[in-house]
Amino acid sequence: MNDAHLPVERLSIILGEVKEVRVTQKGPRRTRLDVAADALPALLELLKGRAGFVHLSAISCVDWPDDAQFELVYHLWSYELNLLVSAHTRIDRDPGVYVSVYDIYHPAGFFERDIHEMYGVFFEGAPDMEKFILTEWDGPPPMRKEFDSEGWVNDHFDWQDYRPDWLLELEAQGGGVMIPPDEQRFSRRGIEDNDDAG
Amino acid sequence: MRAENYEARNHPPSNEFEINFGPNHPGIEGNYALKVKVHGDEIVAARADGGYLHRGFEKLMEQRLWIQNIALVPRICVPDPAPMEVAYSMAVEQLCGLEVPQRAQWLRVLLLELSRLAAHLFTFGGHAATTGMYTPMFWGVADRDLLLDLFEELTGGRVYSIYNIPGGVRRDIPDDFLTRLSDTLDYIDSRLPDYDNLLFTNQVFVRRARDAGPVSQAQALDWGVTGPNLRATGLAFDVRRDDPYLVYDELEFDIPTEQPGDAWARTLVRRGELLQSIRILRQVIDRLPDIGGPIRAPIPNPLAWNVPAGEAYVRIESSKGELSWYVVSDGGDKPYRVHIRGPSSMHAVQVLEHLVTGCRIEDVAQIMFSLDACPPEVDR
Repeated sequence: MNDAHLPVERLSIILGEVKEVRVTQKGPRRTRLDVAADALPALLELLKGRAGFVHLSAISCVDWPDDAQFELVYHLWSYELNLLVSAHTRIDRDPGVYVSVYDIYHPAGFFERDIHEMYGVFFEGAPDMEKFILTEWDGPPPMRKEFDSEGWVNDHFDWQDYRPDWLLELEAQGGGVMIPPDEQRFSRRGIEDNDDAG
Repeated sequence: MRAENYEARNHPPSNEFEINFGPNHPGIEGNYALKVKVHGDEIVAARADGGYLHRGFEKLMEQRLWIQNIALVPRICVPDPAPMEVAYSMAVEQLCGLEVPQRAQWLRVLLLELSRLAAHLFTFGGHAATTGMYTPMFWGVADRDLLLDLFEELTGGRVYSIYNIPGGVRRDIPDDFLTRLSDTLDYIDSRLPDYDNLLFTNQVFVRRARDAGPVSQAQALDWGVTGPNLRATGLAFDVRRDDPYLVYDELEFDIPTEQPGDAWARTLVRRGELLQSIRILRQVIDRLPDIGGPIRAPIPNPLAWNVPAGEAYVRIESSKGELSWYVVSDGGDKPYRVHIRGPSSMHAVQVLEHLVTGCRIEDVAQIMFSLDACPPEVDR
């Protein structure tokens, strides 16, 4: 049997034609590709057209603030070869602009919209960059690593005492089951105290 | 919801009206909204509007220990929670290089297939109710309850089982559990002729569901449709067979397909899957007593567990389609990044908007249920 019929072989023949792509075999049906940002759309086009990777399973975004970069991962599946290829690329965190691959893969529309909303990456040429989940959100993109959700809550909301009057009365008489916040086993204060002690 | 978001931005012609389906609407699965523009009773434009079920799981998981997230993950998809737990556990195991004991893998298959049965029974009921037939809904929910009893017995939880942890499962099956499981499967099997009469061959249902929201195979591949919705267009693809995980390569099952790709075909595929899940569970009942050994691999102290740096992409066939988890670790005690790709993130947004446009207003709910869209999975 010709090696070209074996899925992995056929993929490697096609990838041999692409310059500057690093191929890592992660498992029997998992291949990782690392590619420069400007070469990625052409690579996707080639994988879809020549190797039958017609299914865009997902686009994942990973924030690497120490490198000042976003990592974009395009997970592609081929129904013919039964192989998953994850194409990794990195773009600068500032200004955080990349090209849309909607023309190649229509599911990208949803993922790019989601990444734009959660990370603030703008995809040029995407048909729809409107907010979807965080319609009323005016703050910074919340999935970025520097976004501190607890800090945001403390800055924007007040903590409330949720004990109703009848419970306060009961407690004043010595009844009810009340554990003061400091003594709660999992309270933040307890953890911080332990940190100080340790 | 602020008022300005509900103002019609482009002043429509006076014979077109904008109607909001949801976020609280009996014809919508979960809290999800579909803003449709109608001309008479024909939909001329549709826009999905999510976010009502957004709980920020991906961010929350970055702030919790690897083991703490176990309690969080099944809540991502309410009707079919087991695949979420298994996918997360499998991702952590891949990162750590943990070998899961055989018995735990079989127990996971048992849980996954039970969950698929429960989810499909729920969907049949929902789909029937959108066509005006409420009896299958009551039956579906009542029969699903018998499966929930089994979940309760096995895991302690009726809906969110929190049964899987990285390395294996939390507990072994109780005494005589397999007998009771077998009895329940026999009962569900015996109910199928009733379901056929009431729903699957009932002309009231068939005539409504036929030609509602048709998708061709080319369109399905183009839009990223997966799972039963893809198999209803004639493509026999199932992650369990074509990208096997756990012990699915040792099990015998068929992949039901249909050609037309409409709401009717999608429901028939699910009916076929119900039978296949029962078939798989019967094989599990036969094989499980012979598989000994531990039910979980030893893991480090879970409260001080630094998972080695790396990435894992796990795919699972949930009852709704391809569920994938991308998990990145930087070597810390919490996940660095978790990305959840629920099958419904395609079905409930782009696909639904496409399919609903051009149909009549009474078919909107039916199309959404026939796609088995699960909004909590989209909003995460």
